[in-house]
Amino acid sequence: MTVAVQAAGVSLAYRLTRDRAGTMKEFAINMVKRKVTREDFWAVRDVSFSLSPGEVLGVIGPNGAGKSTLMKMVARVLPPTEGRIVVRGVVAPMIELGAGFNQEMSAFDNIVLYGTLLGRTPSHMRDRVDAISEWAELTDFIDVPIRSYSSGMMARLGFAVATDIEPDVLVVDEVLSVGDTAFQEKSKARIRGLIDSGAAVLFVSHTMPTVKEMSDRVLWLDHGRMVMVGDPDEVVDAYARPA
Amino acid sequence: MTSTYLYDSDQPRRPIATELTNLWAYRGLLKLLVTRDLTVRYKRSTLGVWWTLLNPLLTTTVLWIVFSQFFRFEMEGDVPYIAYLLSGILFITFFSQGVIATGSSIVNSASVLSKVYVPAEVFSMAASVAALVNFGISLIPLLVIQLITGVGIPWTVLLVPIPAFFMLLMVAGLGLLVASAAVYFYDVLDLTAVLTQLIGYLTPTFYPISFIPEKFLPLIYANPLYSYLTIFRGFIYEGAFAPTWTFVVMVGSSVVILLVGVWVFTKSWKNLVVVL
Repeated sequence: MTVAVQAAGVSLAYRLTRDRAGTMKEFAINMVKRKVTREDFWAVRDVSFSLSPGEVLGVIGPNGAGKSTLMKMVARVLPPTEGRIVVRGVVAPMIELGAGFNQEMSAFDNIVLYGTLLGRTPSHMRDRVDAISEWAELTDFIDVPIRSYSSGMMARLGFAVATDIEPDVLVVDEVLSVGDTAFQEKSKARIRGLIDSGAAVLFVSHTMPTVKEMSDRVLWLDHGRMVMVGDPDEVVDAYARPA
Repeated sequence: MTSTYLYDSDQPRRPIATELTNLWAYRGLLKLLVTRDLTVRYKRSTLGVWWTLLNPLLTTTVLWIVFSQFFRFEMEGDVPYIAYLLSGILFITFFSQGVIATGSSIVNSASVLSKVYVPAEVFSMAASVAALVNFGISLIPLLVIQLITGVGIPWTVLLVPIPAFFMLLMVAGLGLLVASAAVYFYDVLDLTAVLTQLIGYLTPTFYPISFIPEKFLPLIYANPLYSYLTIFRGFIYEGAFAPTWTFVVMVGSSVVILLVGVWVFTKSWKNLVVVL
């Protein structure tokens, strides 16, 4: 069996805002003073794992542990500063859904634009608009500009577009809490369907029962480093145990 | 599912080749973004895309009143001042708006680029192409004015795409330079706005070249935009070919600027999103 995602010693450094010269004047002054300090903030440090098709890896850890940064590296948004990531197949990134929605455009146009941003073709998206809006239960509002949508409606639309393919790798960053209870169940069912069809899944969640229920393995991150990786029950219990 | 998609973060990035592959792979998105740039900007206004035409026309009207009525500029030959003025304004607007839009494209798309993988250059090129389309649309009133004033429309109008194409390369190259720098220093965008305006004044858009004292002529000729504009005016209403040296300047400057822009962009791309 081939590997879907392979991360080898992956690290990522952000340059902290306070170290980044905001204006050219500051930069020039700092240059003269020889004070251009490049202090890096390592959000993820030396993380390695591999994921096979159909396997689900839950990622847990406190806020600021580097979970979202790791997701963005797998989704190709951030290139690793060190180390190497190899991803085989089509990636469906579900990170802050609806990024790229344009407030002034109708839902129809936004479905096409968002799907195209995710790497599909405009003509394919036009064919899928009906199915997507029906699944998101927004068919009646398809010609309305997105700016009059509620945040729940927008999240539903984003989820529907992002999952409207059969990805090889699915990256889910805390988006399972979209919409009301009924819609949450519907979204979970859809994700399970994608897993059953062979997608490798990386997902971040703070809801420990969901993590235990859905993962095959769990990766615990803290301060960008791997604390523990392995059996969901063991890792979640160790994480939940007061230190 | 048989897919050949493979992402390897260690894959080297070759300048130009990578950009061209990316633009081809995302051509659908490029088209959508150009349409969005052209329509969404005016979506909430009553006149809509007509503003594309109104904007340069209003500027031209004011300048025409000031310079032809107050200052009483006299043109050599039989080209009316209004055609000279409008052609200059339209071409310089293409340049300055194109560079500014392309330059701010990456900073403006930060919210998308930091969440979804899309090659950033697609956004930049969409801004350049949108400026070109705007320019194309704005030629309509110029041609109408040429007909009304009896200048007519020479056959060389068919060659206008040549200077427009090289201007697009110039706009894209300068825009990519600005866009790469703007991620690190936001000031670059304000600086660009001032510089494009100044270079516009140094280009004979509203004053006739015969007004320039002899000793300052080299300064005007040294400005590459003079060559572009002269070629453009030759094709759009004079029905004549500008001197050969202007073509050399046009092709040379646009290709060099584009290569430099792409090179700088490729060098900095890896840090772009991290800094955003």
